[in-house]
Amino acid sequence: MPAPLEPLWAAVATAGFALLFNLRRRDVPIAALGAALGWAVYMLVSSVTAAQAVGLFAAAAVIGLWAEFVAAFLRRPASVYIVCAIIPLVPGGGMYYTMLASVKGQTWNALTTGLATLQAAGAIAAGLALSGAFARLLSLRRLAGKWTGPVHSRRDRPRR
Amino acid sequence: MTSPTRPIAPEDILLLAADAARIVLESGGETYRAEETAVGLASALDGVEAECFATPTVIVLSFVGFDGKAHSIVRRVTRRSMHLERVARIDALTRRTRSGELDFAGAAAELDQVERMEGRPPLVSLLAAAAGTGFFTLLFGGAWNDALVAGAVGAGLSRLTRFFARRAIPDFVANLLGAAGATILCLFARSLGLATSADGTIIGVIMLLVPGVAITNAIRDTIGGDLVSGVSRGADAFMSAAAISIGAGGAYQLWNLLAGRAL
Repeated sequence: MPAPLEPLWAAVATAGFALLFNLRRRDVPIAALGAALGWAVYMLVSSVTAAQAVGLFAAAAVIGLWAEFVAAFLRRPASVYIVCAIIPLVPGGGMYYTMLASVKGQTWNALTTGLATLQAAGAIAAGLALSGAFARLLSLRRLAGKWTGPVHSRRDRPRR
Repeated sequence: MTSPTRPIAPEDILLLAADAARIVLESGGETYRAEETAVGLASALDGVEAECFATPTVIVLSFVGFDGKAHSIVRRVTRRSMHLERVARIDALTRRTRSGELDFAGAAAELDQVERMEGRPPLVSLLAAAAGTGFFTLLFGGAWNDALVAGAVGAGLSRLTRFFARRAIPDFVANLLGAAGATILCLFARSLGLATSADGTIIGVIMLLVPGVAITNAIRDTIGGDLVSGVSRGADAFMSAAAISIGAGGAYQLWNLLAGRAL
Protein backbone atom coordinates (compact mmCIF):
# COMPACT_ATOMS: atom_id res chain seq x y z
CA MET A 1 0.00 0.00 0.00
CA PRO A 2 1.48 3.40 -0.95
CA ALA A 3 2.65 5.24 2.16
CA PRO A 4 1.16 8.69 1.34
CA LEU A 5 -2.32 7.21 1.69
CA GLU A 6 -1.72 5.87 5.20
CA PRO A 7 -2.89 9.03 7.03
CA LEU A 8 -6.12 8.77 5.05
CA TRP A 9 -6.68 5.17 6.17
CA ALA A 10 -5.96 6.24 9.75
CA ALA A 11 -8.52 9.04 9.42
CA VAL A 12 -11.29 6.80 8.08
CA ALA A 13 -10.61 4.09 10.65
CA THR A 14 -10.70 6.72 13.40
CA ALA A 15 -13.96 8.11 12.06
CA GLY A 16 -15.45 4.63 12.35
CA PHE A 17 -14.29 4.25 15.92
CA ALA A 18 -15.44 7.79 16.79
CA LEU A 19 -18.96 6.87 15.64
CA LEU A 20 -18.79 3.65 17.68
CA PHE A 21 -17.73 5.71 20.71
CA ASN A 22 -20.78 7.95 20.25
CA LEU A 23 -18.86 11.10 19.48
CA ARG A 24 -21.17 13.87 18.24
CA ARG A 25 -21.42 13.70 14.45
CA ARG A 26 -19.91 17.14 13.74
CA ASP A 27 -16.94 16.29 15.98
CA VAL A 28 -16.07 13.17 13.98
CA PRO A 29 -14.11 15.03 11.23
CA ILE A 30 -12.12 16.87 13.92
CA ALA A 31 -11.04 13.59 15.51
CA ALA A 32 -10.32 12.04 12.09
CA LEU A 33 -8.16 14.99 11.06
CA GLY A 34 -6.27 14.71 14.34
CA ALA A 35 -5.62 11.04 13.65
CA ALA A 36 -4.36 11.79 10.12
CA LEU A 37 -2.04 14.51 11.46
CA GLY A 38 -0.80 12.19 14.18
CA TRP A 39 -0.15 9.32 11.79
CA ALA A 40 1.72 11.60 9.35
CA VAL A 41 3.92 12.91 12.19
CA TYR A 42 4.47 9.36 13.41
CA MET A 43 5.58 8.15 9.96
CA LEU A 44 7.87 11.14 9.48
CA VAL A 45 9.51 11.23 12.92
CA SER A 46 9.93 7.49 13.35
CA SER A 47 11.55 7.18 9.91
CA VAL A 48 13.91 10.10 10.58
CA THR A 49 14.90 9.03 14.11
CA ALA A 50 14.53 5.27 13.47
CA ALA A 51 12.92 4.99 16.91
CA GLN A 52 9.28 3.99 17.16
CA ALA A 53 8.79 5.46 20.63
CA VAL A 54 10.06 8.91 19.60
CA GLY A 55 7.63 8.91 16.68
CA LEU A 56 4.75 7.91 18.95
CA PHE A 57 5.69 10.59 21.45
CA ALA A 58 5.78 13.33 18.79
CA ALA A 59 2.54 12.13 17.21
CA ALA A 60 0.74 12.06 20.56
CA ALA A 61 2.00 15.55 21.39
CA VAL A 62 0.70 16.87 18.05
CA ILE A 63 -2.67 15.14 18.50
CA GLY A 64 -2.89 16.52 22.03
CA LEU A 65 -2.17 20.08 20.88
CA TRP A 66 -4.68 19.83 18.05
CA ALA A 67 -7.34 18.50 20.42
CA GLU A 68 -6.61 21.13 23.07
CA PHE A 69 -6.86 23.97 20.52
CA VAL A 70 -10.11 22.77 18.99
CA ALA A 71 -11.61 21.89 22.38
CA ALA A 72 -10.77 25.32 23.79
CA PHE A 73 -12.64 27.05 20.99
CA LEU A 74 -15.61 24.69 21.01
CA ARG A 75 -15.68 24.57 24.85
CA ARG A 76 -15.60 20.80 25.02
CA PRO A 77 -13.28 18.45 26.87
CA ALA A 78 -10.15 17.80 24.82
CA SER A 79 -10.12 14.14 25.76
CA VAL A 80 -13.16 13.29 23.61
CA TYR A 81 -11.03 14.09 20.55
CA ILE A 82 -7.85 12.59 21.99
CA VAL A 83 -9.40 9.20 22.80
CA CYS A 84 -10.49 8.78 19.17
CA ALA A 85 -7.46 10.28 17.45
CA ILE A 86 -4.86 8.17 19.27
CA ILE A 87 -6.53 4.87 18.34
CA PRO A 88 -4.29 4.20 15.30
CA LEU A 89 -1.15 4.81 17.41
CA VAL A 90 -2.20 2.97 20.51
CA PRO A 91 -0.45 -0.38 21.07
CA GLY A 92 -3.55 -2.60 21.02
CA GLY A 93 -1.85 -5.01 18.67
CA GLY A 94 1.16 -5.08 20.97
CA MET A 95 -0.99 -6.05 23.96
CA TYR A 96 -2.49 -8.83 21.85
CA TYR A 97 0.85 -10.16 20.55
CA THR A 98 2.31 -10.04 24.08
CA MET A 99 -0.43 -12.16 25.55
CA LEU A 100 -0.52 -14.42 22.49
CA ALA A 101 3.19 -15.16 22.95
CA SER A 102 2.69 -15.98 26.62
CA VAL A 103 -0.32 -18.19 25.81
CA LYS A 104 1.92 -20.07 23.38
CA GLY A 105 4.59 -20.36 26.10
CA GLN A 106 7.13 -18.16 24.29
CA THR A 107 8.25 -16.36 27.44
CA TRP A 108 11.14 -14.42 25.93
CA ASN A 109 9.04 -13.22 23.01
CA ALA A 110 6.28 -12.20 25.40
CA LEU A 111 8.70 -10.20 27.53
CA THR A 112 10.28 -8.28 24.65
CA THR A 113 6.91 -7.56 23.00
CA GLY A 114 5.45 -6.60 26.36
CA LEU A 115 8.24 -4.15 27.11
CA ALA A 116 7.93 -2.58 23.66
CA THR A 117 4.17 -2.27 24.22
CA LEU A 118 4.59 -0.58 27.59
CA GLN A 119 7.19 1.73 26.07
CA ALA A 120 4.79 2.68 23.27
CA ALA A 121 1.92 3.32 25.69
CA GLY A 122 4.25 5.33 27.92
CA ALA A 123 5.50 7.43 25.00
CA ILE A 124 1.92 8.25 23.94
CA ALA A 125 0.89 9.08 27.51
CA ALA A 126 3.94 11.32 27.94
CA GLY A 127 3.20 13.16 24.69
CA LEU A 128 -0.38 13.76 25.80
CA ALA A 129 0.70 14.89 29.27
CA LEU A 130 3.12 17.34 27.69
CA SER A 131 0.53 18.87 25.35
CA GLY A 132 -2.01 19.10 28.17
CA ALA A 133 0.48 20.93 30.37
CA PHE A 134 1.38 23.23 27.47
CA ALA A 135 -2.29 24.14 26.95
CA ARG A 136 -2.62 24.92 30.65
CA LEU A 137 0.56 27.01 30.65
CA LEU A 138 -0.80 29.12 27.79
CA SER A 139 -4.20 29.22 29.53
CA LEU A 140 -5.59 28.28 26.15
CA ARG A 141 -9.18 28.14 27.36
CA ARG A 142 -9.12 31.72 28.65
CA LEU A 143 -7.55 32.97 25.43
CA ALA A 144 -10.13 31.13 23.36
CA GLY A 145 -12.90 32.45 25.61
CA LYS A 146 -11.78 36.04 24.97
CA TRP A 147 -11.82 35.39 21.28
CA THR A 148 -15.21 33.66 21.10
CA GLY A 149 -17.01 35.97 23.52
CA PRO A 150 -18.74 35.52 26.88
CA VAL A 151 -19.09 32.10 28.45
CA HIS A 152 -22.84 31.82 27.91
CA SER A 153 -22.69 31.92 24.16
CA ARG A 154 -25.19 30.20 21.93
CA ARG A 155 -22.95 27.31 21.04
CA ASP A 156 -22.62 26.44 24.70
CA ARG A 157 -26.22 25.35 24.99
CA PRO A 158 -27.03 21.71 24.31
CA ARG A 159 -28.85 20.88 21.13
CA ARG A 160 -32.32 19.44 21.38
CA MET B 1 -36.40 14.59 40.86
CA THR B 2 -37.15 17.46 43.26
CA SER B 3 -40.25 19.61 43.12
CA PRO B 4 -39.37 23.31 43.19
CA THR B 5 -41.31 23.95 46.41
CA ARG B 6 -39.24 21.57 48.54
CA PRO B 7 -35.95 22.94 49.85
CA ILE B 8 -33.00 21.08 48.37
CA ALA B 9 -31.74 18.55 50.87
CA PRO B 10 -27.99 17.84 51.03
CA GLU B 11 -28.80 14.22 50.16
CA ASP B 12 -30.30 15.32 46.83
CA ILE B 13 -27.18 17.27 45.95
CA LEU B 14 -25.06 14.32 46.96
CA LEU B 15 -27.08 12.00 44.72
CA LEU B 16 -26.92 14.40 41.78
CA ALA B 17 -23.16 14.92 42.04
CA ALA B 18 -22.43 11.21 42.49
CA ASP B 19 -24.69 10.25 39.57
CA ALA B 20 -23.00 12.76 37.30
CA ALA B 21 -19.60 11.31 38.24
CA ARG B 22 -20.93 7.77 37.72
CA ILE B 23 -22.08 8.64 34.20
CA VAL B 24 -18.64 10.09 33.43
CA LEU B 25 -16.96 6.82 34.47
CA GLU B 26 -19.54 4.60 32.78
CA SER B 27 -19.16 6.50 29.50
CA GLY B 28 -15.39 6.24 29.31
CA GLY B 29 -14.37 9.54 30.95
CA GLU B 30 -11.15 9.86 32.92
CA THR B 31 -10.99 9.30 36.67
CA TYR B 32 -9.88 12.83 37.45
CA ARG B 33 -12.79 14.16 35.38
CA ALA B 34 -15.26 12.13 37.46
CA GLU B 35 -13.71 13.46 40.66
CA GLU B 36 -13.74 17.06 39.42
CA THR B 37 -17.35 16.69 38.26
CA ALA B 38 -18.54 15.42 41.66
CA VAL B 39 -16.59 18.00 43.66
CA GLY B 40 -17.51 20.83 41.29
CA LEU B 41 -21.24 20.07 41.34
CA ALA B 42 -21.38 19.44 45.09
CA SER B 43 -19.55 22.63 45.99
CA ALA B 44 -21.37 24.76 43.43
CA LEU B 45 -24.78 23.63 44.65
CA ASP B 46 -24.24 23.67 48.37
CA GLY B 47 -21.56 21.75 50.15
CA VAL B 48 -18.34 22.99 51.61
CA GLU B 49 -15.22 20.86 51.72
CA ALA B 50 -16.42 18.45 49.10
CA GLU B 51 -14.01 15.56 48.59
CA CYS B 52 -14.25 12.79 46.05
CA PHE B 53 -12.23 9.65 45.50
CA ALA B 54 -12.90 7.76 42.31
CA THR B 55 -11.42 4.66 40.72
CA PRO B 56 -12.71 3.04 37.52
CA THR B 57 -15.08 0.91 39.61
CA VAL B 58 -16.16 3.09 42.53
CA ILE B 59 -16.94 6.68 43.50
CA VAL B 60 -16.77 7.91 47.10
CA LEU B 61 -18.08 11.43 47.63
CA SER B 62 -18.51 13.33 50.86
CA PHE B 63 -19.12 16.93 51.85
CA VAL B 64 -20.34 19.10 54.69
CA GLY B 65 -23.79 20.46 53.89
CA PHE B 66 -25.32 23.77 54.93
CA ASP B 67 -26.77 21.94 57.95
CA GLY B 68 -23.24 21.49 59.26
CA LYS B 69 -23.33 17.71 58.98
CA ALA B 70 -21.08 15.51 56.92
CA HIS B 71 -22.82 13.58 54.14
CA SER B 72 -21.33 10.86 52.04
CA ILE B 73 -22.25 8.32 49.38
CA VAL B 74 -20.62 5.38 47.62
CA ARG B 75 -21.47 4.54 44.02
CA ARG B 76 -20.28 1.41 42.26
CA VAL B 77 -19.56 1.47 38.55
CA THR B 78 -20.17 -1.93 37.01
CA ARG B 79 -20.86 -1.48 33.33
CA ARG B 80 -18.67 0.64 31.11
CA SER B 81 -19.21 1.49 27.47
CA MET B 82 -17.81 4.36 25.47
CA HIS B 83 -20.20 7.28 25.05
CA LEU B 84 -18.11 10.39 24.55
CA GLU B 85 -21.02 12.73 23.93
CA ARG B 86 -22.26 11.98 27.46
CA VAL B 87 -18.85 12.92 28.86
CA ALA B 88 -18.94 16.20 26.93
CA ARG B 89 -22.49 16.96 28.07
CA ILE B 90 -21.64 16.34 31.73
CA ASP B 91 -18.60 18.58 31.31
CA ALA B 92 -20.84 21.38 30.01
CA LEU B 93 -23.38 20.71 32.76
CA THR B 94 -20.73 21.07 35.47
CA ARG B 95 -19.35 24.26 33.93
CA ARG B 96 -22.80 25.84 33.64
CA THR B 97 -23.72 24.89 37.21
CA ARG B 98 -20.52 26.37 38.57
CA SER B 99 -21.04 29.62 36.67
CA GLY B 100 -24.53 29.86 38.16
CA GLU B 101 -26.34 29.44 34.85
CA LEU B 102 -28.03 26.25 36.06
CA ASP B 103 -29.64 25.79 39.47
CA PHE B 104 -30.30 22.44 41.11
CA ALA B 105 -33.51 21.75 39.18
CA GLY B 106 -31.89 22.71 35.90
CA ALA B 107 -28.86 20.52 36.54
CA ALA B 108 -31.07 17.60 37.56
CA ALA B 109 -33.17 17.94 34.40
CA GLU B 110 -30.07 18.11 32.21
CA LEU B 111 -28.53 15.10 33.96
CA ASP B 112 -31.72 13.15 33.41
CA GLN B 113 -31.56 13.97 29.71
CA VAL B 114 -27.92 12.89 29.48
CA GLU B 115 -28.68 9.62 31.23
CA ARG B 116 -31.39 8.83 28.71
CA MET B 117 -29.19 9.51 25.67
CA GLU B 118 -29.22 6.62 23.24
CA GLY B 119 -26.32 5.17 21.32
CA ARG B 120 -26.22 5.25 17.55
CA PRO B 121 -28.75 3.27 15.53
CA PRO B 122 -27.63 -0.33 14.81
CA LEU B 123 -27.05 0.22 11.09
CA VAL B 124 -24.74 3.20 11.71
CA SER B 125 -22.65 1.35 14.29
CA LEU B 126 -22.50 -1.68 11.98
CA LEU B 127 -21.11 0.46 9.16
CA ALA B 128 -18.80 2.30 11.58
CA ALA B 129 -17.37 -0.99 12.84
CA ALA B 130 -16.89 -2.18 9.25
CA ALA B 131 -15.10 1.06 8.31
CA GLY B 132 -12.93 0.97 11.42
CA THR B 133 -11.78 -2.62 11.03
CA GLY B 134 -11.46 -2.49 7.23
CA PHE B 135 -9.29 0.60 7.15
CA PHE B 136 -7.19 -0.62 10.07
CA THR B 137 -6.42 -3.71 8.03
CA LEU B 138 -5.27 -1.44 5.18
CA LEU B 139 -3.21 0.63 7.62
CA PHE B 140 -1.51 -2.48 8.98
CA GLY B 141 -0.47 -3.53 5.50
CA GLY B 142 -3.40 -5.67 4.38
CA ALA B 143 -4.64 -5.72 0.80
CA TRP B 144 -8.06 -4.48 -0.38
CA ASN B 145 -9.67 -7.93 -0.29
CA ASP B 146 -8.35 -8.42 3.28
CA ALA B 147 -9.94 -5.10 4.24
CA LEU B 148 -13.30 -6.17 2.80
CA VAL B 149 -13.21 -9.44 4.76
CA ALA B 150 -12.14 -7.58 7.90
CA GLY B 151 -14.98 -5.10 7.47
CA ALA B 152 -17.57 -7.86 7.18
CA VAL B 153 -16.19 -9.83 10.14
CA GLY B 154 -15.78 -6.62 12.16
CA ALA B 155 -19.41 -5.65 11.58
CA GLY B 156 -20.47 -9.08 12.81
CA LEU B 157 -18.15 -8.86 15.81
CA SER B 158 -19.63 -5.49 16.82
CA ARG B 159 -23.11 -7.06 16.82
CA LEU B 160 -21.82 -9.97 18.89
CA THR B 161 -20.22 -7.75 21.56
CA ARG B 162 -23.46 -5.75 21.77
CA PHE B 163 -25.41 -8.96 22.25
CA PHE B 164 -23.01 -10.17 24.97
CA ALA B 165 -23.21 -6.79 26.75
CA ARG B 166 -27.02 -6.93 26.77
CA ARG B 167 -26.96 -10.45 28.22
CA ALA B 168 -24.51 -9.26 30.94
CA ILE B 169 -21.84 -11.78 29.87
CA PRO B 170 -18.59 -10.99 31.74
CA ASP B 171 -16.03 -9.05 29.71
CA PHE B 172 -13.46 -11.84 29.90
CA VAL B 173 -15.79 -14.42 28.35
CA ALA B 174 -17.15 -11.95 25.80
CA ASN B 175 -13.64 -11.01 24.64
CA LEU B 176 -12.56 -14.66 24.50
CA LEU B 177 -15.56 -15.81 22.46
CA GLY B 178 -15.49 -12.71 20.24
CA ALA B 179 -11.80 -13.13 19.40
CA ALA B 180 -12.23 -16.87 18.79
CA GLY B 181 -15.19 -16.34 16.45
CA ALA B 182 -13.44 -13.56 14.53
CA THR B 183 -10.28 -15.66 14.12
CA ILE B 184 -12.19 -18.68 12.84
CA LEU B 185 -14.09 -16.52 10.35
CA CYS B 186 -10.90 -14.87 9.05
CA LEU B 187 -9.14 -18.24 8.64
CA PHE B 188 -12.21 -19.60 6.89
CA ALA B 189 -12.20 -16.60 4.53
CA ARG B 190 -8.55 -17.25 3.72
CA SER B 191 -9.20 -20.92 3.00
CA LEU B 192 -11.94 -19.83 0.61
CA GLY B 193 -9.41 -17.54 -1.07
CA LEU B 194 -11.25 -14.34 -0.09
CA ALA B 195 -8.45 -12.97 2.09
CA THR B 196 -4.73 -13.10 1.31
CA SER B 197 -3.16 -12.60 4.73
CA ALA B 198 -5.05 -14.02 7.70
CA ASP B 199 -2.82 -12.27 10.26
CA GLY B 200 -3.38 -8.76 8.88
CA THR B 201 -7.12 -9.39 8.67
CA ILE B 202 -7.33 -10.78 12.21
CA ILE B 203 -5.41 -7.91 13.80
CA GLY B 204 -7.61 -5.37 11.99
CA VAL B 205 -10.79 -7.03 13.29
CA ILE B 206 -9.42 -7.51 16.78
CA MET B 207 -8.75 -3.74 17.03
CA LEU B 208 -12.41 -3.59 18.08
CA LEU B 209 -11.64 -5.54 21.25
CA VAL B 210 -8.02 -4.82 21.97
CA PRO B 211 -7.27 -2.61 25.04
CA GLY B 212 -4.84 -0.15 23.45
CA VAL B 213 -6.66 2.94 24.73
CA ALA B 214 -7.03 1.28 28.15
CA ILE B 215 -3.31 0.66 28.60
CA THR B 216 -2.53 4.22 27.44
CA ASN B 217 -5.10 5.64 29.86
CA ALA B 218 -3.63 3.50 32.63
CA ILE B 219 -0.27 5.17 32.13
CA ARG B 220 -1.90 8.59 31.76
CA ASP B 221 -3.69 8.11 35.10
CA THR B 222 -0.46 7.03 36.75
CA ILE B 223 1.40 10.04 35.35
CA GLY B 224 -1.41 12.28 36.60
CA GLY B 225 -1.09 10.90 40.14
CA ASP B 226 -4.24 8.72 40.16
CA LEU B 227 -2.20 5.69 41.18
CA VAL B 228 -4.99 3.34 42.25
CA SER B 229 -6.92 4.10 39.10
CA GLY B 230 -3.84 3.62 36.91
CA VAL B 231 -3.03 0.23 38.37
CA SER B 232 -6.61 -1.03 38.10
CA ARG B 233 -6.95 0.16 34.50
CA GLY B 234 -3.69 -1.60 33.72
CA ALA B 235 -4.96 -4.83 35.28
CA ASP B 236 -8.17 -4.49 33.28
CA ALA B 237 -6.20 -4.01 30.06
CA PHE B 238 -4.04 -7.07 30.77
CA MET B 239 -7.08 -9.25 31.47
CA SER B 240 -8.78 -8.24 28.23
CA ALA B 241 -5.58 -8.82 26.26
CA ALA B 242 -5.28 -12.24 27.90
CA ALA B 243 -8.88 -13.15 27.04
CA ILE B 244 -8.47 -12.04 23.42
CA SER B 245 -5.24 -13.93 22.90
CA ILE B 246 -6.58 -17.10 24.56
CA GLY B 247 -9.59 -16.89 22.26
CA ALA B 248 -7.57 -16.18 19.12
CA GLY B 249 -4.78 -18.65 19.99
CA GLY B 250 -7.28 -21.40 20.81
CA ALA B 251 -9.18 -20.78 17.59
CA TYR B 252 -5.91 -20.99 15.62
CA GLN B 253 -5.07 -24.34 17.24
CA LEU B 254 -8.55 -25.67 16.62
CA TRP B 255 -8.41 -24.62 12.97
CA ASN B 256 -5.05 -26.29 12.45
CA LEU B 257 -6.30 -29.42 14.19
CA LEU B 258 -9.36 -29.57 11.95
CA ALA B 259 -7.21 -28.90 8.91
CA GLY B 260 -5.12 -31.89 9.97
CA ARG B 261 -1.89 -30.00 10.51
CA ALA B 262 0.23 -29.48 13.60
CA LEU B 263 0.97 -25.88 14.66
